[in-house]
Amino acid sequence: MNALAVRTTIHSTFDTLASLRGREFGAYLTETQYELTRMVRNPGVAIPVLLLPCALYALFALLIAGEAINKDPNLGVFLFAAFSIMSVTMPAMFGIGVSLALERDMGLLRLKRAQPAPPAAWVVAKIVAGLVLAVLAYAPILTLAVATGKLALAPGQVFALSGALMVGTIPFTAMGLMIGALCSGSAAPGFANLIYLPGCYLSGMFFPLPKSMYWQAPIWPQFHVEQFAMHMTGITKMQFEPLSMAIATMLGYTVLFAGVTIWRLSQKG
Amino acid sequence: MTTNGIQDQRLHALDAVRGFALLLGVAFHAAMSFLPFLPPGIWSIVDNSPSAFLGDAGFVAHCFRMSLFFFIAGFFARLLYHKCGARGFWTNRALRILVPLVVGWVIMVPLVFAIWGMGMEKMLNGAPPPPMPEMPKGWFPLTHLWFLYQLLLLYAAFTVIRALFVRIDRAQKLRNLVDAALTAALRLPIGVFLFGLPLAAALMALPFWFYWTGIPTPDSSLIPLVPATVGYGTAFVIGWLVHRSKGALAAIESRWFVHLALAVIATGWLLHTTHVSPLAQPGLTKTLFACIFGVAVWGWIFGLTGAALRFLSNYSPVRRYIADASYWIYLAHLPVVAALAVWVGHWPLHWGLKYPFILVVSFAVLFLSYHFLVRPTFIGKLLNGRKYPRKGAAAAVTPPAPPVAPGPQDDQPVAELRGIVKKYGTTTALAGIDVQVRRGELLAVLGPNGAGKSTAISLWLGLIEADEGEVRLLGGSPQDLARRRGLGVMMQDVDLPKELKVRELVRLAASYYDQPMSVDEALQRAGIEKLADRAYGKLSGGQKRQAQFAVAICGRPQVLFLDEPTVGLDIQAREALWASVRRLLADGCSVVLTTHYLEEAEALASRITVVTRGRVIASGTVDDMRALVARRQITCETRLAAEDVRGWPGVVDAQRVQDRLQITATDAEGVVRRLLSADEKLGRLEVRQAGLNEAFNELTKEAA
Repeated sequence: MNALAVRTTIHSTFDTLASLRGREFGAYLTETQYELTRMVRNPGVAIPVLLLPCALYALFALLIAGEAINKDPNLGVFLFAAFSIMSVTMPAMFGIGVSLALERDMGLLRLKRAQPAPPAAWVVAKIVAGLVLAVLAYAPILTLAVATGKLALAPGQVFALSGALMVGTIPFTAMGLMIGALCSGSAAPGFANLIYLPGCYLSGMFFPLPKSMYWQAPIWPQFHVEQFAMHMTGITKMQFEPLSMAIATMLGYTVLFAGVTIWRLSQKG
Repeated sequence: MTTNGIQDQRLHALDAVRGFALLLGVAFHAAMSFLPFLPPGIWSIVDNSPSAFLGDAGFVAHCFRMSLFFFIAGFFARLLYHKCGARGFWTNRALRILVPLVVGWVIMVPLVFAIWGMGMEKMLNGAPPPPMPEMPKGWFPLTHLWFLYQLLLLYAAFTVIRALFVRIDRAQKLRNLVDAALTAALRLPIGVFLFGLPLAAALMALPFWFYWTGIPTPDSSLIPLVPATVGYGTAFVIGWLVHRSKGALAAIESRWFVHLALAVIATGWLLHTTHVSPLAQPGLTKTLFACIFGVAVWGWIFGLTGAALRFLSNYSPVRRYIADASYWIYLAHLPVVAALAVWVGHWPLHWGLKYPFILVVSFAVLFLSYHFLVRPTFIGKLLNGRKYPRKGAAAAVTPPAPPVAPGPQDDQPVAELRGIVKKYGTTTALAGIDVQVRRGELLAVLGPNGAGKSTAISLWLGLIEADEGEVRLLGGSPQDLARRRGLGVMMQDVDLPKELKVRELVRLAASYYDQPMSVDEALQRAGIEKLADRAYGKLSGGQKRQAQFAVAICGRPQVLFLDEPTVGLDIQAREALWASVRRLLADGCSVVLTTHYLEEAEALASRITVVTRGRVIASGTVDDMRALVARRQITCETRLAAEDVRGWPGVVDAQRVQDRLQITATDAEGVVRRLLSADEKLGRLEVRQAGLNEAFNELTKEAA
């Protein structure tokens, strides 16, 4: 199939679905379709998000900790989960958050509210686009890990871990939306980095923390997503909190961030 | 007396809240048999599969459900009082509250005793029943109908208190102060902390207080209990006052999330504390518990009411039906739920199966009984004031008054602002304006920057809400998505996504509408077929406006809002856009246009409204405005007195400005002729034409 044929197929699928389920559903689909179109046409935003985690994984897991992983395969799983979390959550944070902030600056959100757009259409479109980007970012890391033999998991476990990672994007999607709702377009990338990057390091995801720093690890949502992912693989060694706690915290953060977003958007639009 | 013009839509939301509170009561009672700590005899049976979860959920539901009900009851009580007067109010309440109380009690009590007896027998399994415990003096089983009794007591108390207030506070000063304080407390929001204090005090005074019960239920005596009377009384008062106060509902609506969040936090703490020690011990914890209980109650009341106002204020036939059914269902549910509990009590099944079973079966029985026995009969008329003809389900859910479908009658305005006041902090953007747009006309709104034009448009677009007055779009609220499908909009200061092509932008916008025009037609009407495949980011400023125009018209709107549409357009593009607007007008579309270009208003408008400082200072047809233009200004040095000249024919106004006489005239030639003949020494004569621009400047200056 050539590129044109692929495009025609996708278009007709969307069109059929749209006509199937009525006007509102069609609006959701069109909105999502164009959100993805915009992402494809503006690769400048997507490329760093796609490449950075993969490069960091290669550096940390393959070069620096390569020997240690050979001795303890569980560490390999832990590090793989860590960088995968980075790869799937960055699109949520930066893709969704920054673009929302920019669109608010443009007055686009105001326009959509005035137009009879279904109120949730743009949110759904952004979340879907974020998920697609997350999958695109996750695929190279997975390939790299499997190809280099640093991921000692059965296929079922890989599947469970991948599912956990996708679930783990939810609180970060909410965080991205919150930043997009709170910041202006120019400030959003800065603030997103400010609250996202420290969490990657201070949650103990990338390297072991000194004992004196343990107390603050649970502050970061990354910690809980990592714990959730480890529970899903069934490896007990690196579990520092019960599964219920990880789920509860992720849920709590999602509610908190989404709440702030809704509050802010209802105040300012 | 304040009549605050509460719209029907808001009442839909409050009806939904009342229905929710009542149905929540059914779910609560269905859980009673599963509560792990309830001694036998309190409920019809103790189930063999207790549930700590239902215990906690029951606590949460029970802590606010009746207070919520009394809050809404207070609100509607005042509404009814002011609609029907004292006599009408009491007649109505006697029929709707007193009759169900008396009749319901007569039917309910034997049933309840029989079911409780069955349950007891089942639990004892043939053993002789224990002797009945001696009932305290004044014992009277009100059953769950106690709330009707309590309601009647509150109505009576309020009739008296209201009469006193009217007598003392003749000038309304005190009442206005209370209104303002209430709105402020809701906005801040500190009401949740304050309104619960009387209840907290009453609860703290209880010698034996099981935290779980919250406000002890006054169901076993005709003598009112203090905590219930204080707690539900406060809820009733606040409900009453919310109906009085102009800004209160809006405040509740805007703070729904904060209130709900406070409710969740407070309830979480309460739950935790009940787990530590179920019976209140005198001390700090008890005090704290009582106070936080108040916060939880009011957080839920305002949070749920606000969320309903925010999200459920439109008319929905299903919600209307449920709200109508809820009163009957609550009245009738107790024997049904209790009997089902007895029936399933000893089944060897987990409560996770039995509880949903009780819920589903009882709701099925109750809704069916409502649908066939109540809704079409005199019982429905008694309970809800309305009898629906028996025409099957479809007819049963037809709305009482036909909801205004998008597309109003020809003689009705398609968009309207009525007595609108809108403030941003201390600045008043609109100070009570009335504007109407009729079908097929173009209304040009003129005014200097900051006059309130954009605020008016934002109100029509449903982007903001008015502090006072009513906004109507196509016969209803612009908040309604279905109604907004009839509008098209081109806003100022909006940039569309630069990566998308013009064709795609139009297609996206068209996907929001029911019967959009084809993308090509929209592009053709906007005169930009050639730009269809250009990315929006690559267009010039004027081309961007044209693309936005195509986006605005692609849904075949009935009302089109154009906010400064031709800024940055060259003359050709502007002419093309005007031609397209004329075509839309000819098709019956109405247009609201704000502009700085007076010639644009002259070229297109059927009517012109001039707004300055949030007020309409002039309004009329283009010809009316031309009449303003036709005036000319004559200035001269003369000995003639301004008062005399003012009386001459053709003179609109005459004033002495420094040493000269300034005359505004419609017939300048005639006036000049008479001036010259009346004063031969007249000098420095000047006659000037006043353009629309000047007329407009004059007008706005006058208003300032």
